[in-house]
Amino acid sequence: MRRLDGKRAIVTGGGSGIGRASAIRFAREGAAVLIVGRAANAEEVAAEIRAEGGAASSMIADAAMEANVAAMVERCLSEWGGMEIFFANIGVTGSNTPLFEQTVEEWTEVYRLNTVSSFLAIKYAGRHMTAQRCGSIILTSSAASLRANAGAISYSASKAAVNSLAQTAANAFAGTGVRVNAILPGLVETKLTRKVFEDARARGVEAKLGHVTPLKRPGRAEEIAAAAAFLASDDSSYVDGQLLSVDGGVSSTHPYGRIAL
Amino acid sequence: MNLRLNARVCVVTGAARGIGYAIAQRFGREGARVACVDVSARRLEPTVAEISAEGIEARAYAVDVGRRDDVGAMFAHIEADFAAPVAVLVNNAVWARFQPLDEIDGETIDQMFAVGVNGIVWTMQAAAPQMARRGGGAIVNLSSVSAFHPAKDSIAYSALKAGVVGLSRAAAAELSPKKIRVNVIAPGMIGTKASVAQFDETTLATRQSEMPLGRFGEPEEIAALAAFLASDDASYLQGAVITADGGWTVPAR
Repeated sequence: MRRLDGKRAIVTGGGSGIGRASAIRFAREGAAVLIVGRAANAEEVAAEIRAEGGAASSMIADAAMEANVAAMVERCLSEWGGMEIFFANIGVTGSNTPLFEQTVEEWTEVYRLNTVSSFLAIKYAGRHMTAQRCGSIILTSSAASLRANAGAISYSASKAAVNSLAQTAANAFAGTGVRVNAILPGLVETKLTRKVFEDARARGVEAKLGHVTPLKRPGRAEEIAAAAAFLASDDSSYVDGQLLSVDGGVSSTHPYGRIAL
Repeated sequence: MNLRLNARVCVVTGAARGIGYAIAQRFGREGARVACVDVSARRLEPTVAEISAEGIEARAYAVDVGRRDDVGAMFAHIEADFAAPVAVLVNNAVWARFQPLDEIDGETIDQMFAVGVNGIVWTMQAAAPQMARRGGGAIVNLSSVSAFHPAKDSIAYSALKAGVVGLSRAAAAELSPKKIRVNVIAPGMIGTKASVAQFDETTLATRQSEMPLGRFGEPEEIAALAAFLASDDASYLQGAVITADGGWTVPAR
């Protein structure tokens, strides 16, 4: 599939997990990709893409800092000559400490990295895209945005705010040709969820991970990337303001069967 | 484009025109072998001829999906004709009439549910064992934004399309162990002849201006979404309802 030929994309949180898989998928479908991460692994992903013949570069930046988001858009425009896709994928899980012990500082940091980063993507990518009258902005939300018990409290609340941003931004961009959608992944092994997987492996219950989903397994980063590629491409040209669950069905049903880990 | 549906036997109902036609064509272009189902043999014949002319393997099955026995027999024929079990089923067929409450008659509502709800049960019932035999499959059912956001004179239609969501999510849970995925598309206003014909020009202009994308959708845009859901690209989507409405139902109004 080369549905993204000639398109230019920014992927934040691109050094690992869902961001890495999406950057690779976008490049395989023909896009030139600016991979943004907080560490050197962003460049490793870019090098991996270039090694297989794709177009990619990298940038170390905090995608929740306004000046950095402005700079990454400028960088993509100058380096790749345009920008049609922004995948705002950076995020943190938040603390699992008991509610009464959580601090405003923790909450502020979770909101900054999950919600404010999405706002900044919409602000800076949106400014460029509305002017050119086309573009696709994709936000990473979570199955935890819809229901309790799928993530930390601050994480869940911050991702619910991301859902609202997908809808309110889609509405704000009415008539501009710019689409904004969110992906709501279920449990996928990434840097954020590694501890869950490692704990399960240590206890010999890895096979039970994802057992509450109808598909009875966790997702793979590549499966989220495939949904991101759909939303990035013109295949989703009539999909706007939507919350796309890619969660093995967990949000479509009450849990059934044994769920204890 | 690489062939995400390469060599898979895909059944599309209501395939003679509109969204169904676009889905059959798109699937064929992604490598599928397509069984085109429609109640009208007369409408189906030119459709299958056109799609076949692109080099796509397409066969016509003139069947009313509301008739359980006919549907069962058809799926047996499809497996025999293609010499392979069905991998993908798209339930797009619909028969609808839009009436205010006091005009809704029993015959209309019976016919609507026979095709639009019962028909999906019959096709899934016949297709699921074939999918299980090949190790899994994908079902895509067409609902509508009317399931959640009713339009004028749509009491029966909203019930019908909400029914599609419920039966699909229940089927997703039930068919998961057989590795069959069931997902739903909820289109908004798609500019097919059948949907545009329901409204006058002023209503059409108002509707388009209400949509963040500022226009009706094209059947090809629903077909692209159906292709995603039918393919392994959607391997972690189960029981999902995806709205493709140009953002129409996003803002409150």
